[in-house]
Amino acid sequence: MSHAIEIRDLQYRAGTFEIRDLAVNVPTGSMYGFLGPNGSGKTTTIRLMLGLLRPIKGTITVLGGAVPRESPRILARTGYVPEQPHLYTSLTVAEALAFHAAFYPTWDWTWATELLGQFQLRRDQGLARLSKGEMGKLEMLLALAQRPELLVLDEPTDGLDPVVRRDVLTALLDYVSQQNATVFISSHLVHELERICDWVGVMDRGRLVTELPMHSFKSGIKRLRVEHPPALPGDTPFVLLAREGGNGSLETWTVRGWQAPMQQYFAGVGASLREIVDLDLEEGFVELLRTFREPSTGA
Amino acid sequence: MFEHLDPRSPTPLYEQIAARLRLAVASGELRPGETLPSVRQLAARLRVNPATVVQAYRDLEGEGFVDMKQGAGTFVREVAADRRSAERTKQAGRLVRQLLQEAGQLGVTTHELTEAIRRELGAKVA
Repeated sequence: MSHAIEIRDLQYRAGTFEIRDLAVNVPTGSMYGFLGPNGSGKTTTIRLMLGLLRPIKGTITVLGGAVPRESPRILARTGYVPEQPHLYTSLTVAEALAFHAAFYPTWDWTWATELLGQFQLRRDQGLARLSKGEMGKLEMLLALAQRPELLVLDEPTDGLDPVVRRDVLTALLDYVSQQNATVFISSHLVHELERICDWVGVMDRGRLVTELPMHSFKSGIKRLRVEHPPALPGDTPFVLLAREGGNGSLETWTVRGWQAPMQQYFAGVGASLREIVDLDLEEGFVELLRTFREPSTGA
Repeated sequence: MFEHLDPRSPTPLYEQIAARLRLAVASGELRPGETLPSVRQLAARLRVNPATVVQAYRDLEGEGFVDMKQGAGTFVREVAADRRSAERTKQAGRLVRQLLQEAGQLGVTTHELTEAIRRELGAKVA
């Protein structure tokens, strides 16, 4: 599998914040959801990835080129929507488009015009007077109209109302349908990612907690109701994230890496599995972080 | 048609989409020769990854429910009556399993459940 983004052994420090041993692999053509709580290092990782910050050590390869040596060539093929709007507010919408278009040989004026209509943006509007939602749409328009091979979106819908969010996501999906681009999208809006992403990476406190296909993440994380659980779980075929006593002989176990044949484990330790409860992405994410932060829990 | 799509379910979205279309073919809701929405249209409408729609369509093609014609679109194929009937039976089984599972979690007994089904069916017929 080729990777649109490859990060190896990355290390970075700013004040007390640190990124350690970071490895990220984003398959070409995937929609990769980059999850993590506020302050976990998502934006810093993105800025490192685009060559906007310099790591202490480690290698970053984007679209086959080394960052920062080949950054100009990489950035020409990458659409970036930063967390904070980065446009000159003295410009009008039309001027911002012309300014942006000048940097990208692949810029598509026909589509830019179409998106202006879809997003209901007026050419003569001054950026200083745009609402937050209009600014969000303009940022997405600029990234899409350059027809990039890679889109890096840092919380692209954060703080936008549901209608604008939908417009922005629809335009993004429309682009991916036409062109087999890779999308790297960071968000803490977990439900949004659950719908569109096929890969997930979870970051916390400057480290990557896990990275896997969305389907594996969701199908592997379960809550189990266990009757007569063993005092010491021993060698479990799954990863036991947490166990909580209920009333009497019933316990709730949260596990990762679950597969159906693993039920046999319970008979082997004299317990019985009463129920298997599915967790959605958000619950799975919360459980994962909780145990990542308190590794003493469970096995 | 896709009102019940649930991104939070552990059943992958492509499988949910394929299951819904299979049922539409089996029930005659989609007729032979009819065109399915393009990948681009359906992905935008459902707000899902286009790859998800492609995977659903490919699975249906592999099972002989649809034909994907390059550039022309995806068409519903003629599916034999017994095959359609088998598909409906499969779906009925799935609905019942779902019902039984929920009933189990709520502590509803099998007897109570069959009584309720009989009552509801009676009400519907009447």
